[in-house]
Amino acid sequence: MKVADYDRYLRLSRRNLLKGGTALGAMAAAGAVGLNPTRSFADAAPLPADEMSLRKAILAIPGIGKGQPGDAEWQKVGEMVLGSTKASVKQGEFAGVELSFMGLNNQNLHNMLFRGFLKPWEAYTGAKITWIDLAQADYNARLQQSVATKTVDFDIIEMGAPFEGDVCGKGLTSEMPDWVKKQIDMDDLVNYLKPPVGTWDGKQYRVTIDGDTHNFNYRTDYFADADLAKAWTAAGNSTPWAVPRTWQQVQAVTKFLKGQKIKGQDAYGYLDAPKPWGGFGFYFLGSRATAYAKHPDDKAWLFDPDTMKPRVNNPAWVRAIQDVLDALPSEPPDQLNADPNETGFSQFLGGTGSMCVWWGDIGSNAKTNDSSVVGDVCGFDILPGSDDVYNSKTGKWEKLASGPNFAPNLAYLGWGVYVMARVDSDPKKQKAAWSAAAHLGGKDLAIWTAMYPSGFQCYRNSQSNIDEWVSAGYDKDFITSYLNSQFNSYNHPNGAIEPRIPGIFQYYSAAEDILANIFAGKMKAQDGADAISAAWEKLTDQIGRDNQIKLYKASLGM
Amino acid sequence: MDDAATLGTTSSRPRRQAGPYAGLGRGLIIVASIILVGCAGFETLHETGITSFGFENWRPILYAFLLWGVALGVGQVLIRGEAGKRALFILPAALFTVAMAIFPTIFGLSIAFTDWNLSSTTGQRFNGIDNLVALFHDGYFWNALLNMVYYVLMVLVEYAIAFGLALLLNAEIKARKFFRVAFLLPFMLSPVAVSWMVGKSMMEYRYGPMANLMRFFGWSSPSFFTNPWIARFSIEAMDAWVAIPFVMILLLAGLQAMSKEVQEAARIDGATGWQLFWRITFPLMLPVSVTAIALRVIFKLKLADIVINTTSGGPGGATDTVSSFIYREYRDRSNVGYGTMLAMFYLVIIVVFVTFLLDFAGRLVRRFAT
Repeated sequence: MKVADYDRYLRLSRRNLLKGGTALGAMAAAGAVGLNPTRSFADAAPLPADEMSLRKAILAIPGIGKGQPGDAEWQKVGEMVLGSTKASVKQGEFAGVELSFMGLNNQNLHNMLFRGFLKPWEAYTGAKITWIDLAQADYNARLQQSVATKTVDFDIIEMGAPFEGDVCGKGLTSEMPDWVKKQIDMDDLVNYLKPPVGTWDGKQYRVTIDGDTHNFNYRTDYFADADLAKAWTAAGNSTPWAVPRTWQQVQAVTKFLKGQKIKGQDAYGYLDAPKPWGGFGFYFLGSRATAYAKHPDDKAWLFDPDTMKPRVNNPAWVRAIQDVLDALPSEPPDQLNADPNETGFSQFLGGTGSMCVWWGDIGSNAKTNDSSVVGDVCGFDILPGSDDVYNSKTGKWEKLASGPNFAPNLAYLGWGVYVMARVDSDPKKQKAAWSAAAHLGGKDLAIWTAMYPSGFQCYRNSQSNIDEWVSAGYDKDFITSYLNSQFNSYNHPNGAIEPRIPGIFQYYSAAEDILANIFAGKMKAQDGADAISAAWEKLTDQIGRDNQIKLYKASLGM
Repeated sequence: MDDAATLGTTSSRPRRQAGPYAGLGRGLIIVASIILVGCAGFETLHETGITSFGFENWRPILYAFLLWGVALGVGQVLIRGEAGKRALFILPAALFTVAMAIFPTIFGLSIAFTDWNLSSTTGQRFNGIDNLVALFHDGYFWNALLNMVYYVLMVLVEYAIAFGLALLLNAEIKARKFFRVAFLLPFMLSPVAVSWMVGKSMMEYRYGPMANLMRFFGWSSPSFFTNPWIARFSIEAMDAWVAIPFVMILLLAGLQAMSKEVQEAARIDGATGWQLFWRITFPLMLPVSVTAIALRVIFKLKLADIVINTTSGGPGGATDTVSSFIYREYRDRSNVGYGTMLAMFYLVIIVVFVTFLLDFAGRLVRRFAT
C-alpha cells in the first residue's frame, strides 16, 4: 500500500467514525475507541480449532483481572505449549546438555518468565539451563564487554535488535536452522519485524519474542471535557477541541492547557522526557521528529545512508528540539528532571498530563498496574503526524498531497532470543539451544505474554484478533484502540526503522548529554543539534565509517 | 676488619647466611619466573596476532603468577633461612598489592593511551596523547570538575554541622545513647537507597512529603531538581545527610579522647564557653578534624551514585560529577580508552589535591600548636 493511500484510508475511516454526531460528542466517543479505524491492521488468518482451544486454555491462566501470574502459572503455561517442541525433540534427547542463558530481570519479568516457561522444557528434554540475570542498566556494558574481550560466556541471549550490529555483525551468533523457522511460524510476524530485522548478511539469527513501537497515549476525559472545550473556543481557536493528530496540534493544546483545570486539578498537555535515560531517552525526541524527518520517499531519517552524515542537525530535527523547548514551560514544573519512566509511569499513569508517547507498556499497564488511575480514560493512536515534512534530498519542507505526514517510530524493534555461535561445534547442544529459543518464540506463548505482564508486546498478526482478547477478559473499546495503535504503527508504510548499527546506543547517549544542555537553556536548538552531529561524526569515525555505512544500509533494507 | 665494618653500615645487622638449600631455592624461583614470563609472552604473542596459537584467556597467566608467588616465598626461605621466613610476613601483602593495585594502575595507563571503543571493528589502537588532548577540550569534564569544587567546598559546611552534633552528643544530655545511634542511621544507608527514598520519593514534586512541606511554607512549585543551584543544593543535602554521621563519629571519638583536665583548668581560669571552644577544644581537635575532613574530601570526590540515580547529572550538567560523567562514558558509550584516561587524570588530580590538602592541614595544625 502506498503511503498516501494509507493515510487517506486512515482519514476516511476517522471521518466515518465521526459522521453523524457533533464534533464534541464524536470526539468523546472517539476518545473511548481510540480514534482509529477498527481493524485497519492486517487481519490474522483463522487458527485451527485445536490451536484456538489451546490458546483459550492458556489465556485462562490465571485469567485477566485475577491477579498477576507468578512462577506456578509460567510453568503451567510453559507445559501447555510444549507441543511444538515434542514434535521436533524426543524426550530426554538433550540429557547432559548444559546451556547458559543471559537476559534481563526488569520488574522481575523477562528472565523470570523464561525460567518458568523453560522448566517444563528442561524436564522434557533433559537439558539444564543456568541463568545470567542483568538489570537493564547493566545490560549494554555487560554485552559489549563480553564481545570486546571475547569472553562470551552464554549460549543463549535475550537481546534487542539494535544490538544485532554489535553481535551478529561480528559473527558471534548461530544461524537459525530451517526447522526452527517452521516451528515458530515466522510468516506470522508483523511486517516490520520480518527480515532484514533479525538477519545479518542474509542469514536469519533472531527468534522474535516482542514488538516495539512508540505510540501516542492520551486522556479521553480531557478531550471530552466541556469546560476545556469552551475555554479552547474562548481562547480563539477555530478548530474543535479534539485529540491532536499532528505535532502542531499537540503543541497548541499543550500551550493552551497551561493554567487550565480539569476535575479541580492542574491540567497539562504533552509530557516530554528531557532527562537522559541511558540512551533510551533519545527515542522520545525521535518520536517528535519522525513526522518531520521521515519522508515517505526516503528510508533514511537519522543519517545519510551514503555517507553516515548525521541528519540530526537538519531543519526537521531542529524543529523537533525547538518544539520541546517551546512546550517545556507549559509542562509540569519539574519536567526538566523527568525521564521516560517518570513521564509514562509516574506522571501519565498517575494522572498528570494528557498526552505522552511510549512503547506499548502504557496500554498494557493502564488497566493492570496498581498505580494507574487512567485505566478508564486512556486512549491510543499512532504517533501524531505533521502538516509538512522535510525532504533531505531537496532540502525543502513539503506538504504532501495526501495530507499530514505520519511516520511511527518503530523504536527498538523489540526483544528477541539469539543463540550464540559457540554452540555450533556441538550439534546436540546447538539443537538444544535452538529448541529452547523456539519454545520461547512460540506463537501460542506469544498471545499469553502479550495479555499478561511480561515486558513483551504484540509482534504477530495472530495477536490482533480482538475477539480473542475480549473473550479473555479485555474491554473491547479499550483493546481495540490499543491494538490499533500498535498494529497500525507496525504495518505503517512510512515507519521509521531503527538503525541496527554497532554502537547505536553510544550515538543516543552522546546526544542525550547535549540535549540535556539544550533543554536546560544552555544551548540554542541549532547549536546543540550541530554539537550532536559533530559528536556522532566523531563516533562514526571511531567505530569505522565504511562499515557503519554498509551496516546502516543493510538495516534499512537498502 | 671485615668489609661491613669498613663500610660502617651493616655491622649491627645479622649477617645473611645462605641456607643449605640456597641453590634449590634459586632454581625454584628461576623456574617459576621462566614459567610466568613464558606464559605471559606466549599469550601476548597470541593476543597481538603474531602467533595463531595461545590460551583461551589470560587465566593461565594468573595461575603462573600465583605459582611464582609461592615459589618466591619458598625460595626466600630456602635461600635466606630465618631472614626468608621473616620475609614471608610481608611478601604475600606485597604481592597482593602488586597484583591488585600496581598492576591494574599500569594496565589502566596502557588503556588510557588507546582509542578503544567496544563497538569499534578495529578494536584497541594506541593513539598517543589524543585522549588527553580530547579531555582538555571536553566541556563536560571541566563542567563536572567545577561542580566538584562546589561539592568539596561544602565539606566545610558538613564539617561544621558534624562538629556541632559531636559537641552535642559529647555533652551530658538526656537520651545521649539513643541520639548517638539515631544520628548514625543515615550513614548505614546505601546512597542508592537514599537517592530513591529521598530524592525520588520524598522530594518528588507531586506527592513527596518534602515538596508538600515546601508548599506549606509558600513555595508554590517545589521542584528540587530543575533549577541548577537548587538541584546542586538538593544533591549536596542528600549526600551530606548520609556522610555527616561519619564525620561526626570521628570527631566524637576525638572529643572523648581529649583530656578533661585542660578544659577544667581553663574553666577555673574563667574562660567563657566560646573561648573554651575556640582556644582549647578546636585546636586540640585539629588533628582529628584534619583526618575527618581529608577522608570526607576523598569520599566526596567519588560522589556518583546519588547523582546518577536522581538527576543523571542534570539539569544541563548542573549536578554532574566527574565520577558520574566517567560512568556514562563507560556504561552508555563503551568508550573504554577515553573513559580510562578520564579516570587516570582524575586520579592524578585527587592525589595532588589531597597531598596539598594534607600539607596545608599539617601547617595549620603546627601553627595552632605553637
